[in-house]
Amino acid sequence: MKKGLLYTLYALIGLLVIAALAFKIFQPVQVVPRIRLSPGFSLIDQDGERLTNEDLRGKFVLYNFSFTRCPNPCGNMNQTISEIQGRLDEANLGDIEMRFVTISFDPEYDSPEILKQYADSLGADSAQWKFVTTADETLLKAIIGGGFEAYYNLNEDSSFSFDPKFVLVDGWGIIRGEYRYQTQVPDTERILRHIGVLAEEVQNSQGSASLAYEAAHYFLCYTP
Amino acid sequence: MSNNNRWIFIVGLLIGLIAVAAIVLPQLKPYTFHATVLQSPDKAPEFNLETATGPVSLDEFEGKIVLLYFGYTFCPDICPATLAEVSNALDMLGRKAEDVQLIMISVDPGRDTPEMLRDYVTHFHPSFLGATGSEEEIATVATLYGIFYEKHEGTAASGYLVDHTATVMAIDQEGHLKLIFSYGTPAQEIAEDLDHLLN
Repeated sequence: MKKGLLYTLYALIGLLVIAALAFKIFQPVQVVPRIRLSPGFSLIDQDGERLTNEDLRGKFVLYNFSFTRCPNPCGNMNQTISEIQGRLDEANLGDIEMRFVTISFDPEYDSPEILKQYADSLGADSAQWKFVTTADETLLKAIIGGGFEAYYNLNEDSSFSFDPKFVLVDGWGIIRGEYRYQTQVPDTERILRHIGVLAEEVQNSQGSASLAYEAAHYFLCYTP
Repeated sequence: MSNNNRWIFIVGLLIGLIAVAAIVLPQLKPYTFHATVLQSPDKAPEFNLETATGPVSLDEFEGKIVLLYFGYTFCPDICPATLAEVSNALDMLGRKAEDVQLIMISVDPGRDTPEMLRDYVTHFHPSFLGATGSEEEIATVATLYGIFYEKHEGTAASGYLVDHTATVMAIDQEGHLKLIFSYGTPAQEIAEDLDHLLN
């Protein structure tokens, strides 16, 4: 009799292990990782208005780091953002709002007026795409270099060396994706796919379904 | 075995199995945190600040859970409410609370002295620490922990007030930022999550 109980217990544990393995292998639910906390900030945008990380709570935000006098990589990054903006429907965001924030690491030149001209030249919709910076360069370094881990450095000839990068942040202020500029798949496709996966998680992970999403995080079922 | 006995055996076995399943299954179910969970391979940002009893840095607390909260002693409502919840959570944890250290970092370094911070936080729980530093140090550490804060006008009696992000962050025993409790998380839920991390 005792043996019967024991076997049943083994069978139950076995089933759970198989279920966990199957989850890991077949990945019925995929997520984007919760990488780390995004930094806190208070910056000034192209309209001279204040923009803080708290203003962006509840929204998805795609950040990039650049400066208006930048010759080439910045142009391509702007193109990527415009393209994502134009194809946002594919991500099925529902009620979730999306913002794009370009942080300039050249506050000495990039005044709000210059940022405004730059945004206008790109035809950017100022409600959705913010160009921001702050005169406090120590804080700027802490935000971009420390918080977003995006490298930039002012060279002696007053040009900048920097690592072109996009960062995707969710509504809780958590970094969910980091995209070194055009390394793997074209950025636009990958970022759009990640925004879609993130939106799905936010919309569906309620009640018992949240368990499946937590399991997906636990088993590192990350979307490529 | 007679027919009757066989039925009694089968029913007994079934009841026994259900009882075992009821006890075992919840144990096997993965724990779901109330807080938002991070799985960061990076260590939480280090800081070196001042308390009334001397300097404090994050690495001193390896092996303990550090709860990080950004607030200030003139804070009228949000800070006292949050600190009281954490204090209640620690009471619920009993002796395990010895492995949890709350540090409140001041977002008002202009007014909060280490002594004022000590008097303020120990009012909620004797183990709480209050830390401050220069304006730059505070700005940097707050930025890295995703904290926004800003002074704004209060009443003549209160002086200026400081708006600030009101989350409580839990850094695990190995120094990884693990949990983010949003403002208003009840003590019971904080205690359950901490209890799970401690196990």
